[in-house]
Amino acid sequence: MYLPSGVYHETYAVSHAWWQTNFVRAKMALLVAFVLTLPLYVNLYWIGVSNIILYTILSALGVQLLIGYCGQITLGHAAFIAVGAYVTAIGVLFWGLPYPVAAVLGCLLAGLWSVLFGLPSARIKGFYLIMTTMAAQFITVDFIITHYVSRVGGREHYFSLPPGTITIAGWPVDSEIKVYYLASALTILSLAGMANLLRTRVGRAWIAIRDNDIAAETMGVNVVYYKLLAFFAAGVLAGVAGAVWIPSLLFVSPEHFQFSWGLWLVGVILIGGIGSLHGVVFGAIFVTLIPELLRFAVFPLSDVYPALSERFLYVKEAAFGLAIVLFLLYEPRGLAYRWQQTKNYFNLWPFPY
Amino acid sequence: MKRLTVFVLALALSLGVLAGAGGAQEVKLGSLNDLTGPTSDVGKDVALGIREAVQYVNDTGGINGKKIRLYLYDYGYRVPEAITTYKRFRDFDRVVGVLGWGTGDTEALSPTVGRDRVPYLSHSFAAALTDPKKAPYNFVYGTDYSSNARAAMTAWFDEVWMKDPRFREARAKNEKPRVVMFYGFPTPYASAPIKALKDHAALLGFEVGPDQDVSLVALDTKSQVLAAKAFRPHLAWHGNTTMSVAATIKDAHALGLGADHIVNNWGYDENLVRLAGPAAEGVMGIAVVSFYGANVPMMDKVVEYAKKVNPGVPQEARMIRTTQAWAQVLMMAEGMRRADKAGKLTGPGLKEALETLRGWTPGLGLPPVTLSATDHRPGSVVPIYRIKGGKFELVTQVDLKAKWPRQWEGEFFGY
Repeated sequence: MYLPSGVYHETYAVSHAWWQTNFVRAKMALLVAFVLTLPLYVNLYWIGVSNIILYTILSALGVQLLIGYCGQITLGHAAFIAVGAYVTAIGVLFWGLPYPVAAVLGCLLAGLWSVLFGLPSARIKGFYLIMTTMAAQFITVDFIITHYVSRVGGREHYFSLPPGTITIAGWPVDSEIKVYYLASALTILSLAGMANLLRTRVGRAWIAIRDNDIAAETMGVNVVYYKLLAFFAAGVLAGVAGAVWIPSLLFVSPEHFQFSWGLWLVGVILIGGIGSLHGVVFGAIFVTLIPELLRFAVFPLSDVYPALSERFLYVKEAAFGLAIVLFLLYEPRGLAYRWQQTKNYFNLWPFPY
Repeated sequence: MKRLTVFVLALALSLGVLAGAGGAQEVKLGSLNDLTGPTSDVGKDVALGIREAVQYVNDTGGINGKKIRLYLYDYGYRVPEAITTYKRFRDFDRVVGVLGWGTGDTEALSPTVGRDRVPYLSHSFAAALTDPKKAPYNFVYGTDYSSNARAAMTAWFDEVWMKDPRFREARAKNEKPRVVMFYGFPTPYASAPIKALKDHAALLGFEVGPDQDVSLVALDTKSQVLAAKAFRPHLAWHGNTTMSVAATIKDAHALGLGADHIVNNWGYDENLVRLAGPAAEGVMGIAVVSFYGANVPMMDKVVEYAKKVNPGVPQEARMIRTTQAWAQVLMMAEGMRRADKAGKLTGPGLKEALETLRGWTPGLGLPPVTLSATDHRPGSVVPIYRIKGGKFELVTQVDLKAKWPRQWEGEFFGY
């Protein structure tokens, strides 16, 4: 922790504060102002991209909690996002609940559902736990949702919500900009909640379990209880992501929550940095922007060489895999670490020692 | 404070980099395709065909003199990427219409394109897309999955069950034909027509056996075939894509299932013959257009442009999917021409123009397309083919509207 000279902490409250100098506070204010005013200076396309980034952040947050902070590897996170999304959609469509109530219900059910599949973590870890989280994916999405839930109300295989059904206290969430504000608010709340939770007894217990579960138990941490609590919290966060998905598309289908999405989210935190909340944000921005930027490169070039968009684009898939390999080799602590290093460079400049 | 000023300046500079692009006298068309995802086995051929067909349209006068500028992009069947790509098409490239791909993108984007008023012509033929009340801006060029399944079952019933001497005895005993269905339960494309198919089985007097779940990537289907065999079916419906359909048909052949086969349209192509070999003999199926290289109008152009635009792709590798891509592009181009003539080459203008199609066909073996503002089903005629000597031959063209006019307007509409 570097502080500029002349800054002294005189109370515990000050030394525990998130933002300790005026420069940092001003930066944060700028960030909030930037998030609030973004729709003023970019077009709807960038808002759409931002919405996907925010959805990816919310989705990956639970994965980060489980893998990065509690050491419980999960590949089935898409299942819990699906539970959140489906409960929200069914609540609004069939039970006539207001959207916020349905969303809260979705979060709670996603949390409980996640605890159910977290139960095996009491007895097993490592590869075996990965298998049970994969089971969560296949049982929830491929079996229960596709076969039974999707057929509620005589529908074929998806729910489509009529426009205007998503309202928050009479305010209809019916445009991308409104979804953007909703998603931003929920993302900021979730990130702030997570950041604070990690500084409490609960967060420290999770980190202790991640670092060494036997040592944690000998120190008096109730390992099973805290593991299940981690699964619950991760499930609730997945539920938030699912609830955000509903107004952004007004449509939900099992195809949106495939196994590959769960893997993708693990890729997000690998690239962003395991065990870092900055990492979730950076990773989500990175994996969402790479295909978009590739498009900017490929579209003008395909005027000259039309086959580019059919042939060259395989590179995009390889690029994601390659990015993960390169990050693991050269930047195993992810983009978040690089960010920290960059900040340090400027903080210490011109005497980096 | 100086540090903060520098920081703000740096931010402002980096934001200034994000700028837009302009365009000349062109008609812009977006296309979402799957070249790398789970449906890429057929998606690649479609993407090649789209590029070739657009080239053909541009070489033959374009849209009343304006050239089509195609933005074709692979989304790997990942829905979030389909959404951002669509939004790029809408806000950045400002396309007039979008050529869509599968259920993943088409049905997910259906409420959005309706709100944005961007016509969306897809390869997903889900019946829900043909009801303008539910999906006003969705269009399909071929008959929907439910109609196709109904037609295939009708064709087998009329042409095989009622005529074939194999079934003379069964008919004389007033036996009911028995049908069993193989499809991937969790796959929306495969499960979409099942309810319609069961209703139709009841209408025609079939006895329906236990459904068999076959995954889209199945290589071994013996347990499903044996389970179906206990029911002694006369007919088997295959609702999946080519690879798993071929596996099931081969296993049915090896285990002596003894049933005839009818196949859904994304499972019925040149690869089925290659993969299933002799077991594919006599298999019937749905093809909304003619097979690659068939003797129909316009096919010479399809082959010519395939050789010209993509000389590196061997001719044997080209399939009916190329023809489907041509049908999709030519229908879009026809709509654009009409919209342009009316002076309204915009989303709503293109929608209205497409709704003026009456008995229109580009050739290619595509049955005439008739659309209206209240009904986006392109037609009621479904061509049914049979594999004979490794080649496809047309068995019959089932006209569902002529056979069941009341149901066509009623329960056949929209699911």
